[in-house]
Amino acid sequence: MDVTAVDRSAVLGETLLHRAAPASKLVAAGLLLGAVVNANDPLITAGLALSLTGAAAAVRLPLRQMLPLALYPALFALVFAFAAAPGPVTGALVVLKAVTAALVVVMLMFSTPYPQVFAPLQRVVPTIVGDALLMTYRSLFILADKFGDLLRAVRLRSGISTRQPIRAARATIRALGGLLLYSFDLSQREYDILRVRGYQGRLRVSPKTSVEPAADAAALMYAALILAVVLAFRIFHDSLDGYAWLVTVAGALDLAVGLLIGWRHR
Amino acid sequence: MSHIHIPDGVLPWWLWLGGWLLALGLLAVASRFAERAESRRAVPLIGAVSALVLVSMGSEIVPLAYHINLTVIAGVLLGPWLGAISAFIVVLILALMGHGGITVVGLNTLVIATEMALGWALVRGGARLLGRTRIRPVAAVATAVTLAITTTMLVGIVALAGTGAATRETGALDAETLEFRDPFSDGVLSIGLLGEHHGESEEEHAEHAGEGGLSVGRFAAVVYTLGPIGWLLEALVTAGILGYVARVRPSLVFGEPTAEDQHPRYGDEQGRH
Repeated sequence: MDVTAVDRSAVLGETLLHRAAPASKLVAAGLLLGAVVNANDPLITAGLALSLTGAAAAVRLPLRQMLPLALYPALFALVFAFAAAPGPVTGALVVLKAVTAALVVVMLMFSTPYPQVFAPLQRVVPTIVGDALLMTYRSLFILADKFGDLLRAVRLRSGISTRQPIRAARATIRALGGLLLYSFDLSQREYDILRVRGYQGRLRVSPKTSVEPAADAAALMYAALILAVVLAFRIFHDSLDGYAWLVTVAGALDLAVGLLIGWRHR
Repeated sequence: MSHIHIPDGVLPWWLWLGGWLLALGLLAVASRFAERAESRRAVPLIGAVSALVLVSMGSEIVPLAYHINLTVIAGVLLGPWLGAISAFIVVLILALMGHGGITVVGLNTLVIATEMALGWALVRGGARLLGRTRIRPVAAVATAVTLAITTTMLVGIVALAGTGAATRETGALDAETLEFRDPFSDGVLSIGLLGEHHGESEEEHAEHAGEGGLSVGRFAAVVYTLGPIGWLLEALVTAGILGYVARVRPSLVFGEPTAEDQHPRYGDEQGRH
């Protein structure tokens, strides 16, 4: 999990999706997740995944960084599918659902900074939970950097080697022990900062507005269309059953067009 | 096996929605208790420990496909109520990285919060019973027991989903009766391609409709085979880290999480100025 790569893309990216309002992107992501949940055919789910990849390519999101993250849940889904699915088709559906849902979330996170994603959530959850979410986000980068430094230092002293797993494990445990103490000192420093700044039990995030309303409309219409197609196949299963392959073909076409648009706008 | 790696759209809606509602209820109760302590101290503490858990989940302890969780350590450091808040935050951020479904955030929160609360209770209880000097074996046993219990919870969740999971979530909705039907009950070849019953009578078709569910027995067999390796690794790591922290800063392991003397300043280990 390279959190810094996600954050860099979310904050510094300049794609069409970055210019849309976070609220619109959250609603669009919700609709797309609804589509993944309701998709009942591997062909439809595969079409959905291809179409989403095409959309990401068209708006020039960093696919090389995004796809490994989106494919990572496939490993765990494979284990789950192997262990619990009644047959290969259901297994394939489980894996495809995992990848497609991850793709939706990763697209959202690569185009929207974390605090903007947390902002609407802060209104729903208790104050302390919303504030702790933001604090976790801040601490995550500091601790990830610190842990990287600690591991590098241990590796330079030949402490971590794939040929010596026990020695490597001991070194990692020591690094984690040091990191734990550091995290407590970090929380103390953050407490001091909150006290000095007069924290009264609420960290506020101002929601960003849209820079390009057309981008909002495009994202919402795309997500609504996908959900409508999936629901149509689910509700009118008997009539549309034989045409699920059309969704896969449409998804493949989306991917081809998306890659072409992305390549032309380089 | 600390959190469920089940993707969105596999478990039935009533199960994941119930998980979300229970998790939000738990968060409301936990926040009440947490706000009794000084929230200015609790907020950064939850943030730092949640970030620590997230960082540890991103690192492999040995070059195997197992990652550590540090959930028992987080439970010991935070206590059950702050731990429940931390569990939700960790699971939500993981889901936003594509690691675990958004719909199962509620169920995952319940599993990890249980892990933190159990870990806290067993380590504190064990240390009180056997003495602080035996914190390493206590932590190792507490971690293994905790993980075994939460893995059983995970199997229980899949069992609750049972045959309903695949039947509902991979089945088509009948617009007339508003009932779900399993499209895979006719066999692999008919899936979404042919859509015919291949000469099956309606009775035979109805009979097969309930067979497309999750195989709980096979799932339990796989989980209980692979799980103990992870439990052992996590137990060793937890014992190592808690033993180290108990030696250099015992108040973190044996004291209250938001107490003033937990956070000594540099050069002033007594916290006095």
